[in-house]
Amino acid sequence: MKIALRAACVLLSGAFVQAQAPAPPDLTGVWSPSNGARVADTALRPPPTPLVLKPAYAAPYEARRKVEAEAAARGEPIAGGAVACVPYGMPRMMAVALYPIEILPTSGQITIVTEAFSEVRRIYLNKPQPPIDDVPPGYYGHSVGRWEGDTLVVDTVGIKTSVPAYQNMPHSDRMRITERIRLAAADLLHDQITIDDPVVLEKPVTYTLVYRRMPGYEMVEFVCDNNREFIDDKGGTHLKLRDR
Amino acid sequence: MRRWARVAVCAIGTAIVAAPAIAHHSFAMFDTTRKVTLAGTVTMFEWTNPHAYIELDVPDEKGLVKHWSIELGSPSILMQGGWKFKDLKYGDKVTAIVSPLKNGQAGALLSTITMPDGRVLGNGPLPAGGGRQ
Repeated sequence: MKIALRAACVLLSGAFVQAQAPAPPDLTGVWSPSNGARVADTALRPPPTPLVLKPAYAAPYEARRKVEAEAAARGEPIAGGAVACVPYGMPRMMAVALYPIEILPTSGQITIVTEAFSEVRRIYLNKPQPPIDDVPPGYYGHSVGRWEGDTLVVDTVGIKTSVPAYQNMPHSDRMRITERIRLAAADLLHDQITIDDPVVLEKPVTYTLVYRRMPGYEMVEFVCDNNREFIDDKGGTHLKLRDR
Repeated sequence: MRRWARVAVCAIGTAIVAAPAIAHHSFAMFDTTRKVTLAGTVTMFEWTNPHAYIELDVPDEKGLVKHWSIELGSPSILMQGGWKFKDLKYGDKVTAIVSPLKNGQAGALLSTITMPDGRVLGNGPLPAGGGRQ
């Protein structure tokens, strides 16, 4: 009898624990970063922390920004990779102009497809992250994720140093990106991104991307096959004109 | 679905303008402080990525034709503003308001355009709540 009671208690408490752990929210669908950024409630748009580079990187960074501003004023803006149809990579791909992203959860994986340049990143759930030195550097690196309650926590390493990061900051191969992705309100998604790079940054920088759901939206094809902007030998951007 | 749509529309209606995400690239090769009106005939409409283009023959008051290449957003951005891929064809008469290249060449960035059917379209989503949001 006692054993039966204990067994019942164990079963009940198991059921209780299960009931206390709600299923993670369903993030499936298309999300607009631009509509999200226009949300009126400032409490739903957390401000970024300051970007503080180590002195060795701060001076060249500021100098480059000055050159960029001067080139833009001349009408020959210094081209970013996108002008040559090179994809953005992580983390900038997560919010490009008015282009939405699509989140596709499947068993053990969450895939994110962006409309701009049709970029794809895969987040492997409940898998260990290999050491940075074991990840071949790329545009998207290697991402693993786990649910912490209602928040998807994603760890990404292995971004090529040639892929510009937040605000075009430079970064080393030690850069680690941590995302905390959650529904901040109905149909409103937050991706809080923290970039840590002990080589380049004095301290980690954190900013939050805000997305609004786009019900019924069908992602539009984006193949960069008619690039009429070109880059001169000084890196300036120009437009190829036609006669007719 | 209907409820979500209502929520989205409400949010857009109360939206304020804020700098959202990174731009695809700088538009600083165009002088966006200037607006020039080009009334002419379409010779080509390219519905392509990363940008769509309108090629336009524009006659001056003496009848001399100058050809302009006009850059638009991408098809995705244009569709969010109500554009369709068949909206323009060879021979269509349009009036475009554009920002010209700073270098003086006959290239420009579209601001707004009056279509052959009289619709006025922009170079992206329509103001708050409009377009394919």
